[in-house]
Amino acid sequence: MLGVAKRMLKRTDLAEDAVQDALVLVWRKASQYDPERGNATSWLYTILRNRCLTMLRNEARETPTAPEAIDETIEDGVLNTAWDRLESTSDLKRCLAGLDFDTRRAILSSYVLGHSHGEIAGRMNAPLGSVKSWVRRGLVKLRECMT
Amino acid sequence: MTDRSLGLLIDEVALGLADDDDVARLEAMAAADPIVAARLDHARATFALLDDTADPLPLPEDIWKRIDQSIDLAEAETAPVVANVSGQRASKTEESNVVELGAVRAQLARWRLSAFAGLAAAVVLAVALSWTVMSPKDPAVIAVLLNDQGDAVALIEGRPDNTTRVTLLERPDVAANQVMQVWTKPDADGPPVSLGLLETGESRTLTIQGLPAPNAQQLYEITTEPAGGSPTNLPTGPILGKGLAKEPVI
Repeated sequence: MLGVAKRMLKRTDLAEDAVQDALVLVWRKASQYDPERGNATSWLYTILRNRCLTMLRNEARETPTAPEAIDETIEDGVLNTAWDRLESTSDLKRCLAGLDFDTRRAILSSYVLGHSHGEIAGRMNAPLGSVKSWVRRGLVKLRECMT
Repeated sequence: MTDRSLGLLIDEVALGLADDDDVARLEAMAAADPIVAARLDHARATFALLDDTADPLPLPEDIWKRIDQSIDLAEAETAPVVANVSGQRASKTEESNVVELGAVRAQLARWRLSAFAGLAAAVVLAVALSWTVMSPKDPAVIAVLLNDQGDAVALIEGRPDNTTRVTLLERPDVAANQVMQVWTKPDADGPPVSLGLLETGESRTLTIQGLPAPNAQQLYEITTEPAGGSPTNLPTGPILGKGLAKEPVI
């Protein structure tokens, strides 16, 4: 859990806070867990990811990261590691491999790093509207490949 | 909403690209329509493979104490301090439920830490149950892998579609330049076939195509291999654990 949170939040202390908040939510929302809707691991990680995303979005609103402070080398390293470790026989890897590099990177960075459309657009130096459009085209292609 | 736009909304929510309003809209749709809920859960499960690629990091030792204090704090305040799953503030109704529970828990304060150990166990149990009982795809076979001292080291759950859930029951001692590799013998007289690597040293679900559905008495084993997996595509390293599968009584 901590590894997933740290990839998104970058700092260990924030990641520990996120895991702590997520487990408190698990405690408080345990009665809402519906085994018919997926397994407990998935539920736990959905809560954790949502908590991380909320922290990321709030932080971005309060203190926007200066462009020069973004270390894209580190981000590239994290994404490359995730891509290399992704189970090679999975449909997800096979179908992501069928997308062009930028689309695949955008989809990976949204899930792995928690990047928003705006953050993806900023890193690619591309207009927000265009980024939204081609991410959506990529998702349609991904879905067609996996069904 | 067209099926295509619903599919996109589901994917964007699962990826974390959707804004709060879209997340709330889809959660409401999922609550009202089990088909939408199933599609959302499926999308989340698909991308969840990426969660397995994160570095395994141990939780800090004081995490349960911190959670305990966090719940105390939440109960002491009138306003909720933690955002809910949709990123919105917890509702008053939810908060009032917590306060009622809080009165009971206050009486049991001295048992609180052990209760959290219980919560941890409950979460683990829920995870285990979700795989063995509640999952829509029940395992066709289950194998408990034992080491040469007879200790259980891993639980294998093989599904008919050759998805194999490997749950490690102890943290194995694997050198940095080595990796655990999971094997099975679909044909008792044939060679072992690799099901995949446990690169992060943690439990994970492996998928493989082209094998027959697993059967009772099928051999499973985990060996230690050089980083990247066995160079010969057959087990070469020491066996960490092995066992024969059985069909669960469900």
